[in-house]
Amino acid sequence: MELQPIFIQLLALAIFAIGLLVAISRRNLFFVLMGIELALNAVNLSFVGFAKTLPDAMSVAGQVVPLFTIAIAAAEACVGFAMVILIFRNRESIDADTYSDMRG
Amino acid sequence: MLALIYFIILAVIALGAAACVLLSRHPLYGALSLVTSMIALAGIYGLIGSPFLGVVQIMVYAGAIMMLVTFVIMVLNGARDSKTPMFDRVSFFILPAVILLAGMVGFALVRSPLAFDTTALRGSVALTSKTLFDVAQTGPGYFILFEILGLLLLSAMVAAVLMAKKRLGSIETENTEDKH
Repeated sequence: MELQPIFIQLLALAIFAIGLLVAISRRNLFFVLMGIELALNAVNLSFVGFAKTLPDAMSVAGQVVPLFTIAIAAAEACVGFAMVILIFRNRESIDADTYSDMRG
Repeated sequence: MLALIYFIILAVIALGAAACVLLSRHPLYGALSLVTSMIALAGIYGLIGSPFLGVVQIMVYAGAIMMLVTFVIMVLNGARDSKTPMFDRVSFFILPAVILLAGMVGFALVRSPLAFDTTALRGSVALTSKTLFDVAQTGPGYFILFEILGLLLLSAMVAAVLMAKKRLGSIETENTEDKH
């Protein structure tokens, strides 16, 4: 049995689900951001896996667009952790449940 | 056959490390598990024919981004959540919701016909750079996106520096401004 593209997609789906679970259910702010990174990784893997099922000329996009995704993830992590530092300096807490000033 | 064995080994490492991120208590252990998961994913990129993306994944994700994460975790020393519980009651509703979502998407994926195209290109450095910097008028135009990306990274860096420094109205900042 050879490596099938569906295996790559299912692995990406599993990692995305774990990343989503980490981002939503954990209370520590660091784990929320790390879950987002994990989900972005899974999307990249899915993109590369789908690009390998395309013919010659179209499959080049699968090499270039994940590069942009990685760079945007770097920018997101940069701004996100600056916000974490700012919030931690105000509240002295890293628990996401303590930042509930805007609840209605 | 050999590719499938390598894929299974790397997939087990990636999934196990991702589960460690979900279950670890201290953020530093979570960050190290995340690095392991990313390196395993880089191996999968190399396996399915995108070695350039695998190298970029190790350099940018496992190197730069995770270095930033561990640095911020170590700077904010109060980051351990030993006092607060890891999960609360809402988490028990999120787990079935995420499993349901994954099951539905997985069902749709399994039903769809997918096969590797043998003419798909291997993502070597030469091919990727030739596509990325194709400035011909009939080309794909990725180089414009590349330039905009540089602008985005610069603005993100400026935003991070402006947000993370001491507030402008604080006493220390005013004192240093008076001296100059």
